[in-house]
Amino acid sequence: MLKTEEAAVVQVEHGINANLALRLALRKRTADAVLRIGVIAVVTITSVFLLFPVIVTVFMAFDARDYIGAFPPTSFSTQWFVQLAGSDFLWSAFKTSLLLATATTIASTTIGACAALAISWMTPKWSDLVTTAFLSPLVLPGVIIGFGLLMFLSVHDGLPVFAKLFAGHLIIALPFAVRLTLVGLAGISETLREAALSLGANEIQAFFTITLPLAKNGIAAGAVFGFATSMDDVTVSLFLSDFNTFTLPVALTSLIRSSFDLTIAAAAVALMSVTLLLLIVLDRVLGLERAIGRKT
Amino acid sequence: MSAARSKVLLLLPAVAVFALLLVAPILMVLDESFRAFEPGRIGSVQGASLTLANYAELLLPAYVQYFAQTYFLAFCASVVAVFIAFPISYCIARTESPSTRKASLSAIVGLMFLSALVRVYALELTFGSAGVLSPVMSFMNINPNGRQYINFVIVAGLLHYAIPMSILILFGAIQNLDPRLIEAAQSLGASALSSHITVTLPLCTRGIFSAFVVSMTLGVSAFIIPWILGRGRVLFISNLIYTRFSEVADYPSGAAISIVMMVLSLLMIFSMSRLATSFERT
Repeated sequence: MLKTEEAAVVQVEHGINANLALRLALRKRTADAVLRIGVIAVVTITSVFLLFPVIVTVFMAFDARDYIGAFPPTSFSTQWFVQLAGSDFLWSAFKTSLLLATATTIASTTIGACAALAISWMTPKWSDLVTTAFLSPLVLPGVIIGFGLLMFLSVHDGLPVFAKLFAGHLIIALPFAVRLTLVGLAGISETLREAALSLGANEIQAFFTITLPLAKNGIAAGAVFGFATSMDDVTVSLFLSDFNTFTLPVALTSLIRSSFDLTIAAAAVALMSVTLLLLIVLDRVLGLERAIGRKT
Repeated sequence: MSAARSKVLLLLPAVAVFALLLVAPILMVLDESFRAFEPGRIGSVQGASLTLANYAELLLPAYVQYFAQTYFLAFCASVVAVFIAFPISYCIARTESPSTRKASLSAIVGLMFLSALVRVYALELTFGSAGVLSPVMSFMNINPNGRQYINFVIVAGLLHYAIPMSILILFGAIQNLDPRLIEAAQSLGASALSSHITVTLPLCTRGIFSAFVVSMTLGVSAFIIPWILGRGRVLFISNLIYTRFSEVADYPSGAAISIVMMVLSLLMIFSMSRLATSFERT
């Protein structure tokens, strides 16, 4: 009698436990489902938020209406691109920007690659310190760099505006050259250079036949970043430009503030194509994942 | 040629560029910030008397409000960016198909490389008072010229850069994580959410901190985003410095604001990295 009662109690307890476990598992499954739905919602909303403005700009650049109307445009034309091509203001700005970006890229890549090479020969303690110092323009607000350079360079009157702009772009492009050359150099095994030396090459020969060819992708990526930084900069350039010499972003800024029409959308599409081109080059020379420092 | 000498020779151009184009200008800003300003002149007079007035002025409520506004909006954007970026980054890092990962990473790098002006123009065209969403705004009874809405658009502008940036930073941290840890937690009965909160998040502390610091640094020093999207009604510290230069030519005041801004930025980076290290130890 007592035994059966005990058995019954145990059985009931088992039942309760099983029931509890089942309910817990169910609750866990619902919680997981809620989380999954939440994550999907976040991903979708964020993608729309990030991509929608870009898509709007591309579509509106081909809008056939001569005012900013409802989205999407009802008919398409290339009138804004024709206007863009006919604008002397933007063309001269574009030429300045292109020339400036080319000069900046050449200078920053050469100087930065040399510095990175020297850093790679240092002991870790020193190389960390020097690298941090060289990367500091990345964290300093652009306004301060622009404002400081403006005051510093105005002491030397008669300096052409182009040279001032070049100075400003050089200092903001240099960190990328140093950083990405270091990424390129990090992948090179020291044994290769030692092998070349033991086979009779001198230091200079070893550098040009072993180190440089292996590091060239990193250097090229630094050049791409430098070019993009120079083409893109507004803050520093705004301080150093004048009425005759200005970069494309400075010209576009004043256009956005004065006449908000769709010629700027056409210019934006043109700039996006340049960006896309740079990214393809970057992917070819270094691979995107390495360029952003996620893989070395 | 000895190794030491060639090292010095190779470093020399870069050091010269830094000394001449970064250190010297900042020292000049520092000097200018202590000079007395006479209205009507451009910058301070040669040999103007030394003063602390430019700094004392910054304690006025009007100036404090600029700083508060900048830091508040940048803080909001950074917190939201990290919150949103984390799950997205996790999905990308754990996706099984390499082509999906490659495509999403390319899109994110593309968004990061997007020219600042293109970004600002695209956002103005979408969210601005004459933008394509303005019918939606008037339908939802939102005033596109209201201060709240302008603040919202500026945060959206900051997020448009901060989210892709944070995703990339967190991506590295999550990729280094051992996926078996999460599987272990879940097979022992933890729900997906609690296993992420107790396992994934603590192991990604450093990544989360650095994503936040980078977003915050970029947000605080943002220039073109508040300048265009703020439509003159909301100004960031950067814009304030620029107006000191372009409109009133009061260089000493602009210099003092620059120095305070720089010190605050460096303090923030320093304290956050200390905080991240101490978090990791516990």
